[in-house]
Amino acid sequence: MVKTYTRGLWNGRLILSYTLLVCLSIVIFSPFVVIIVKSFGKGWFGKLWLPPTLTLDWYKWAVNVARLPEVMKNTIIVVAMAVAMSTIVGIFSGWAFGRRHIPGKEVLMSMILLPRMIPPITYALGIARIFYGLNLVNTHFGIALAHVTLCAPYAILVMSATFEGLDERMLEAASVCGANPLRTFFHVTLPQIMPGILSSMIFTFTTSYNEFTLTLMTYGPDTLTLPIRTYLAVGEGYWEVTSAMSVIMVLPSLLILFLIQRQVKPEQLVGGFKGL
Amino acid sequence: MSEWMIELKGTTKRYGMLLANDHIDLRIPRGELLTLLGPSGCGKTTAMRCITGHQRPDEGRVLIDGRDVTDLPTHKRDLGMVFQNFALFPHMTVYENVDFPLMIRSLPHEERRQRVTDALRLVRMDELADRYPRQLSGGQQQRVGLARALVYRPSVLLLDEPLSNLDAKLREEMRFEIKELVTQLHMTAVYVTHDQGEALALSDRVAVMKAGRIQQIGTPREIFEQPNSLFVADFIGLSDFIKARVEAVETKSVWVAVKGLRVRVQTEALLRVGQEVTLFIRPTRVDLLEQGAPAGENVFAARVLKLTYLGDNIDYRVVLPGDWEIRVQTNGQQYIPAGSSIKVRLPAKFCHIIAE
Repeated sequence: MVKTYTRGLWNGRLILSYTLLVCLSIVIFSPFVVIIVKSFGKGWFGKLWLPPTLTLDWYKWAVNVARLPEVMKNTIIVVAMAVAMSTIVGIFSGWAFGRRHIPGKEVLMSMILLPRMIPPITYALGIARIFYGLNLVNTHFGIALAHVTLCAPYAILVMSATFEGLDERMLEAASVCGANPLRTFFHVTLPQIMPGILSSMIFTFTTSYNEFTLTLMTYGPDTLTLPIRTYLAVGEGYWEVTSAMSVIMVLPSLLILFLIQRQVKPEQLVGGFKGL
Repeated sequence: MSEWMIELKGTTKRYGMLLANDHIDLRIPRGELLTLLGPSGCGKTTAMRCITGHQRPDEGRVLIDGRDVTDLPTHKRDLGMVFQNFALFPHMTVYENVDFPLMIRSLPHEERRQRVTDALRLVRMDELADRYPRQLSGGQQQRVGLARALVYRPSVLLLDEPLSNLDAKLREEMRFEIKELVTQLHMTAVYVTHDQGEALALSDRVAVMKAGRIQQIGTPREIFEQPNSLFVADFIGLSDFIKARVEAVETKSVWVAVKGLRVRVQTEALLRVGQEVTLFIRPTRVDLLEQGAPAGENVFAARVLKLTYLGDNIDYRVVLPGDWEIRVQTNGQQYIPAGSSIKVRLPAKFCHIIAE
């Protein structure tokens, strides 16, 4: 009697959770489905459920007309520069924040986080104004530098937590063993902060790769990035090409997600954000 | 080759307002195991860090083997060190951990292999060479730490509370292991601890520290039997303290009055009649006698208040006339029930007087 009752309840819960799961999946995946179908379809108008013919034309357009290879190259250059700069800044600042006693540490930290807390558009104009003066507009370095304002806070946060977790005694042990500071860094410190560096790089990569607002204010004809090119294509009215470009744009992110979720647990990735 | 392996010459270290080390003078001869003993915050760790070079003293000099190393960075000092939290490199195996100092020294491969194997065998960890530190127990990790500190045959071995993170039984075992290793390898060693039992068991000499200064330095026996201050007497072993007044002074002994009793105390100290002093005696040094025992020097009637049975020994609370309560520890053979009337003898040579 009781058993049947609990089983019924159990089934009810199962049904409820599956329903929720399916609903959530629909919310998350349906825009992607629309984009993917659109990018392969031809003559998909009106009340048709599916496009009448499939084609790869829009991808050809994306490559030839929207000059996707060049845009891709720009994006990679900008992202690489932004990740490199942010990581270096993150390592040095993280060392200071995590291992030194700094007066007013909390205030400094919140100032560093400020760019992430306020809408980028509010200071994008300021950045653009300065960059015009310095001739940094329409340069890869300039866009990357603008991205650093958003990427570096992540990197600093993650690296601070990483260095805080580094055991001082271990470095002392290395020095007693005869290792000079440089060798201590390469043989002891670096291997131990590597997970932090990797997670910082992943965060800064996605931030820079997805960045739109700051890029919009600092790009030029030679430095179109993927999000900007896609946005422009929308403005030009080529919905199918835009869809194709969106699909292409999602691939690297998916690839990274696939790679890291096999190596790192998500909790580890956001481990740097404890205390926030 | 200097006679002294380590010398601290008036080293002083301040942390802001705190005087962590106050003009420490310490000389450690070659081959000695010296313990820096004291409660936390007494400056023992700071003194060790001045030797390792992780702290630079504000004043004074540090000499290792006669060479002034005050301004020499740690990695050039040729030291070995064992840490309280083991401080093994978590990304390296046991073998790689022990090999690390040799790799840094760029020794030939064959020699490295030989030495690592020998060192691991010495601490009985050769079977687990491929494990990572996280796969080892605390005791095993500390053995690896020891092997890593010994493998390059440093001139001095420093041990910073190496047994504090281990459980009681293992701690006792490893005391003797460490002592044996250090003796066997003829090393000069400095051992920092707050555990007096460890200090007494291990050391050739003990330096008891208090508030940044060395309070007393001597062999474990000297420290235990002739503490030069209340602090040392209280910190090492059990003691019963009581106020007393000097009644009469004789050669090499004095008579003191304690709660109306006259106690003879053997002492070389210069005391004058009427002086207020502190009398103390170790609970293990008091003799419990039968009620009918003949009268004698420092023999007093007493009554057992209560007792605690500790297995190896029994801890008695005994009250003497004048409400003078003392603690007596005897071996478990002599069982006297609470409430019994007995006599106690306070042997004159085990009574100590400290005039402070």
